[in-house]
Amino acid sequence: MRASIRKDAQVQPLSRKEGPSRETKAKRIAYLFVLPVFVFFLVIVAYPLLSVIWDSFHDKNLLNTGDGSFVGLANYVEVIRSEYFVQAAVNTSIWTILSVAGEYVLGIIAALALAQGIRGRAIFRGIIIIPWVVPVVVAGLTWTWMLTPDYGVLNSWLVKLGLLDEPFYFLGEPDTALLSIIIVNIWRSFPFYTITLLAALQSIPRDIYEAAALDGIGPIGRFFKITLPQLKGVSIVLVMIHIIWTSINFDFIWVMTEGGPVHSSETLPIMIYRFAMQELNIGLASALASLLLAFMIIGFMMYYLYLNRESDHREGM
Amino acid sequence: MVESKRSKRVQKLVTYVVLIAFSLFCLFPFLWMVITALKPAEEVRSTTPSFFIENPTFENFLHVFWNTGFLTYFKNSLLVGVTATVLALLFSIFSAYALSRFMRFKGVKLVSVTMILSQMVPPVLLLVPLYIIMMRLGFLNSHISLIVAYTTFTIPLCTFMLTSFFSSIPIELEEAAEIDGCSKVGMILRVILPISIPGIVSTSLFAFVNAWNEFMFGYVFINDDSLRTLTPGLSLFKGLYTTDWGSIMSASVMSVLPVVILFLYLQKFLVEGMTAGAVKG
Repeated sequence: MRASIRKDAQVQPLSRKEGPSRETKAKRIAYLFVLPVFVFFLVIVAYPLLSVIWDSFHDKNLLNTGDGSFVGLANYVEVIRSEYFVQAAVNTSIWTILSVAGEYVLGIIAALALAQGIRGRAIFRGIIIIPWVVPVVVAGLTWTWMLTPDYGVLNSWLVKLGLLDEPFYFLGEPDTALLSIIIVNIWRSFPFYTITLLAALQSIPRDIYEAAALDGIGPIGRFFKITLPQLKGVSIVLVMIHIIWTSINFDFIWVMTEGGPVHSSETLPIMIYRFAMQELNIGLASALASLLLAFMIIGFMMYYLYLNRESDHREGM
Repeated sequence: MVESKRSKRVQKLVTYVVLIAFSLFCLFPFLWMVITALKPAEEVRSTTPSFFIENPTFENFLHVFWNTGFLTYFKNSLLVGVTATVLALLFSIFSAYALSRFMRFKGVKLVSVTMILSQMVPPVLLLVPLYIIMMRLGFLNSHISLIVAYTTFTIPLCTFMLTSFFSSIPIELEEAAEIDGCSKVGMILRVILPISIPGIVSTSLFAFVNAWNEFMFGYVFINDDSLRTLTPGLSLFKGLYTTDWGSIMSASVMSVLPVVILFLYLQKFLVEGMTAGAVKG
């Protein structure tokens, strides 16, 4: 970067008689302004990213028992063959798909309700955003408390309503642990969808709706024929971002179950943590991280291709 | 207009029912948190939990406040959060200015793309190398590691938010300042920043809440109890005071309170920022 600045500084004075031109000065300032940020990224994002990939092919661990030699794909093979890998991959998919689907449904319902011109909107909006502001740890602890079998309020309600015969240890049973965390995750994350979709809803021109109402299309018809298509662009971005954010989420599951009982709520990020911080095996942790990274890149490429196809389609019309 | 008054009224009623249901769903866990925090131990450990508190008490709060690491964690979180926010803002103001005025330069565009990409790299994938980097630099078990990580990971969003605010400032204002002999930095400090105060407030709020709520780095980088931040500290409460939910909930109340108050107070800014960030990012 610095080289390019110097080069410009040398070339420019040739074309103009004296001193650096206004444009060169502007460029120098612009580069100076973005330089610190760029350095941060090289050190804290780019370098670590490359070293993850590098380490994934080497025998390395934090106790210095690994000799750091090149081992080819051995780490990858070991990760894939490890006892809980398949289960963690399946759990990650369930966790991601159910969370994002639930969040989107709740998000759009709340957004539609908030978009109606009614009194007290601002208050409702304020209340609905609150879960999103709360630290994940606090959300996790509060729900863990509400779900406890002995004194938990939810269990007591379910028993009173006759839905359960006796209190159930939702977070302690392999069948329900992951599902319970998914519900809590939906509770915390849907407000983000609501706010974003609300902004998008408010930018849909009102006269489309009035025209449709004139044509005798009811509220439900209007929702499917106008609202949903109008929200398509925002929704795709929203869902894409959340698929990534959710699939790599670490803290929710860690705070509530640490991946247990018996690995039943363990997802791939939890597994990375386990490899790295409990088994201290950098090679394995890096191989798993690289695998996730590869999945993400494939996902992005598919998204990108999809976007391209869409725009081609539009140009073709 | 076109629809009958009656169907309008039904629609309104449905809207209210939906919104009230959502509000209960969103608020109940907090309500329960506060109720539990105010209950004495016997009432917390009741098999028939009720909304009504027979003998409300601040016992739990006082216990958490004086006999646990809560106060230390709180101070640490405040220190790390504020420092990271100030740093992120400092860097973001200049990079955002460059992004809003000098996108025509290739280098600036490159940085902008780098930021978008880096925002998509999940921190958990970088956990291992970052841990090793911090270890080598001797930053493990010190607040520097957290400050560096939080600053870096909030810079992209801060920059994008500020860029959208700066872009709306007419360039003539700058030209006038420049004619008066102001340097670029002086111009940013004296002209751009004063007009963008709402943007800066919402951006710093965002950065602070991000740092305040972060868990993973705080959990992994810090081992020393006197340096621990609030979120990992709270999560360890669960192991230390397994059955003492009254204390855990009062600690939760106290750690949520600053964020919620900040938020309610500045709701308008935050919503604007969120949507700006969401649309841009």
